[in-house]
Amino acid sequence: MNIRPVRVEDLMGMQSCNLHNLPENYTMRYYLYHAMTWPGLSYVAEDASGRIVGYILAKMDEETSENEEPRGHVTSISVLRSYRRLGLAKKLMVQSQESMAEIYNASHVSLHVRQSNRAAIGLYRDTLGFTVKDVEKKYYADGEDALSMHLSLKRSV
Amino acid sequence: MSKVAGIPPKRALPSKEAGLFKEVLTLYETRQLKKGLKTADFILKKFPEHGETMCMKGLILAHMGRREEGINMVKKGVRFDLTSHICWHVFGLIQKGEKNYEEALKSYMQALKFDKENMNILRDSAQLQTQLRLFENLVETRYTLLRLRPNLRQNWVALSVAHYLNGNVTEAKKVLEHYEKTLKNVPDNDVEHSECLLYYVKLMEESGEPQEALDFLDNNRRAILDKTAISEIRARLLTKLKSDAAESAWSALFKRNAECSDYYSEYLEFRGLSLEGNSPEALAVLQTLADAHPRANAPKRLSLSVSTGETFTQLAEPYLVRGLERGVPSLFADLKSLYKDDTKKDAIEKLLESALERFKKDSAPEGSTEPTTYLWTLYFLAQHHSYLGRQKQALSILDQAIEHTPTLPDLHLFRARILKRAGDYLGAATSTNDARTLDGQDRFLNTKCGKYLLRAGMIEEASSVFGLFTKKDAASPGADLEEMQSLLYILEEGHAHELNGKPNLALKKYFATKKIFDEIEDDQYDFHGYNLRKFTITIYLKMLKWEDTLFSHPAYVKAAISASRILVSVHDDPSIVTALSAIAPLTDAEKKAKKKAKKAAAAAKPTDDKKGGAANEDKGLDIPVTKDEDSDGLKLLGCSDPLERAFQLLRPIINVAPSNLQVWLALYDVQIRRKKLLQAAAALHHAKQLSPESPGLHLRIVDLKHRASKLPQAPPAPIGPVFSEAVAKLDPGSIAPATFNSQYLQLHASDPEAIFACAQALHAIESPLDEVENAVFTLLADPVALDTKMARSVLRFLTSIKSTRAEEFRAACDKKFELSTLFKTPEELATLRKKVLNPKDAPLTGSKEAKKEEVTP
Repeated sequence: MNIRPVRVEDLMGMQSCNLHNLPENYTMRYYLYHAMTWPGLSYVAEDASGRIVGYILAKMDEETSENEEPRGHVTSISVLRSYRRLGLAKKLMVQSQESMAEIYNASHVSLHVRQSNRAAIGLYRDTLGFTVKDVEKKYYADGEDALSMHLSLKRSV
Repeated sequence: MSKVAGIPPKRALPSKEAGLFKEVLTLYETRQLKKGLKTADFILKKFPEHGETMCMKGLILAHMGRREEGINMVKKGVRFDLTSHICWHVFGLIQKGEKNYEEALKSYMQALKFDKENMNILRDSAQLQTQLRLFENLVETRYTLLRLRPNLRQNWVALSVAHYLNGNVTEAKKVLEHYEKTLKNVPDNDVEHSECLLYYVKLMEESGEPQEALDFLDNNRRAILDKTAISEIRARLLTKLKSDAAESAWSALFKRNAECSDYYSEYLEFRGLSLEGNSPEALAVLQTLADAHPRANAPKRLSLSVSTGETFTQLAEPYLVRGLERGVPSLFADLKSLYKDDTKKDAIEKLLESALERFKKDSAPEGSTEPTTYLWTLYFLAQHHSYLGRQKQALSILDQAIEHTPTLPDLHLFRARILKRAGDYLGAATSTNDARTLDGQDRFLNTKCGKYLLRAGMIEEASSVFGLFTKKDAASPGADLEEMQSLLYILEEGHAHELNGKPNLALKKYFATKKIFDEIEDDQYDFHGYNLRKFTITIYLKMLKWEDTLFSHPAYVKAAISASRILVSVHDDPSIVTALSAIAPLTDAEKKAKKKAKKAAAAAKPTDDKKGGAANEDKGLDIPVTKDEDSDGLKLLGCSDPLERAFQLLRPIINVAPSNLQVWLALYDVQIRRKKLLQAAAALHHAKQLSPESPGLHLRIVDLKHRASKLPQAPPAPIGPVFSEAVAKLDPGSIAPATFNSQYLQLHASDPEAIFACAQALHAIESPLDEVENAVFTLLADPVALDTKMARSVLRFLTSIKSTRAEEFRAACDKKFELSTLFKTPEELATLRKKVLNPKDAPLTGSKEAKKEEVTP
């Protein structure tokens, strides 16, 4: 397994991985937009044959005002079912968070998750230390609510 | 827009109208389209031949969705005022919206003739020049922009990038150095500045100044914010410089990310070692790293690659057991590359057998091991046997596991894979459906099920399954997947249509693939401006390179080759189209599909004819989605220029995937029929360099020789002699095609692919049908190792040449490939398909009974 910063040539593999796993999908333009704007924030997990089996697509929150601290945001993160239980999601997340803090001085990171997605909520809360900050009504196209989860990036150590 | 001295009289407007025209410009800029239109009309009432107003009106109309009307107006406007930069600018905008970049650039150049220093037009031209890779011109444009606005930071960087793209790294660096000198008081944590410095480091590296690059990097450690990038560049530079400091640079990198296998291989290379082959030295290094990063998996796994014998077993055991205990589904995929070493494969097998014994005992109710560990061991073992070709053994182990725990989806997924390998596509689809129903929330399982249904040719059912996760407001599940650019879906469905005898629908999907790649190629356009504004240069340069080779992507190559094969086949036999068009009443499923497609087309129809002009909504200048007038693809399949289209599909690949044999072969098939003799022969020369003995190449050489011998007269010089020479070079012996073919067959008498190629070659040289058939049937004899996939192609070939023995071949294959469902009769398939999604309700009479009745020749 190879965990490393995303390269442009990974984006199509990332898109394919996303389409396999998640109901929220994006066209290539959106992946390019992430990579072209925040080149250091997204990471991939690649198997020995070069296939993208997991990824984190991340950005900085663009709606912060002058006196607010910069915030990172995870647009999408997923790992193919056949590559679970290797701790890849955590490793990807940690790499991305480090970069958010170092490059953009992010104070915390946020993400949205479907209220019904217990597995993902468990991962974010129990393994990665996120907390639920808010419920966003009808966030998803199909009318489902989203939990808005946050994690502080201030070094406690 | 700036004023030009000496306005031609027909452009000059009285001051009132001139003011109104300015207003039109502002209204357009702020997208107050309705008002803009009114104002323009007001001017035109008095001055109906005012070109600039006409162009602006046309542009506004196009934005309002009244596209055709608007474009006609623009064209008329340009004709009325050929020396107006506004007219040409507008015309260029329209062409750009049509993605006609070449023509748009020409219009912009015209516009610049009449307004040399127009910043907007210059900037747009630069973007077009980048898109078209006209880098020399780009340098000029960027230089002009910089000259006009030297205070704008961006313009310096943009010129530097233009030089870089034009291949002049030295100049790129110089310009950037100029720029850096102008910088004062850069604030802390300035991301743009940081990106710029990284671009400068890249330029130094590529100018062959690694030491300078390194010093610069070290001197700017605070200003460069991307610490991962710094650490990576430092380690690589120090390695290049063979510096002792590389050691600590690498260790810093491992500390940041101990799971990046690239780092390990590069570090070992620095130490003069490698991950290829067994090496105690490399092992020692990796073990040290494993100790330093006890939680990292990478050094542990890589240690297995370089160790051997007893050491290997000692390291493999804990690795394996830990994976099994944690229930890591990818454990086998992770380890299988070790199998190329037989002793490692045997060692793993041994370890597994003993682990299985232990876990089996321990998994008894009062045992110490989690029962799932036993399960994952069975899972691994099944994968192990399947990989080594022992499908029956694999299946029996897996069934044991499923009996133990019927609710683990992964087991069913792998069962599907085994069945697929054995050619039982329907059984495989059933198993994926079993997996899917165990966890309805998991799109991964759903995707697999849909994909396997497509492999089984069950397109309708696949669509319903995919539809469980696609957007509900999409015209159809497929429409959503296409919009989201799912290459997996498009290619699989295209392939399924082909297998179901619907090349028309397959072709639609292959052209949809082309559309996706065209979109992605267009996607870069906006970034030519965007990245310069954001200063994210290094990633931008990589993106351009990637876009340049975009069409070498396996999905595109596959679609292009498949489409070209279909197009060639309708060129050779146009009756394919008539047969499909004349198809008698549609089946229920097809009727449903057609209705759906109609609905989809209706939904995709733009709403622009809804009282044009009433809405103020900006619809942009891109060509809108239009109603699909050819939902069954018959027009596409029956097009008048199939070869030309095939060539257009293959063309973008030729330069970017020169080592792909299949591309050259497909290109030959097209070019020889387009009567491009030299290019056809050249394609085969390329193929010969890649793989001189390839069966596919052999078939084409025979075909070429045959066609050459049948030319009514030798082509005139210079083509004739060059062509003869080229043909002679492909077959230096210059033997008659038939003899050439039989000689090849003798050399490869037990290779199924070669035998098949020879049979096809016999057909190509117009041998009697029974000769072709006899050649085909030798594929069924021992010791020829015919597999299901090839057998399927052979059957399709027999059908396509209207062989009367196709049915006999099918029946023989059905008997030969016991598990496979590829060779069932349509009636048998229909029964089997009913069982796939609902096995319990299906009649219990299995396929085998049905087969007995049908097989009698």
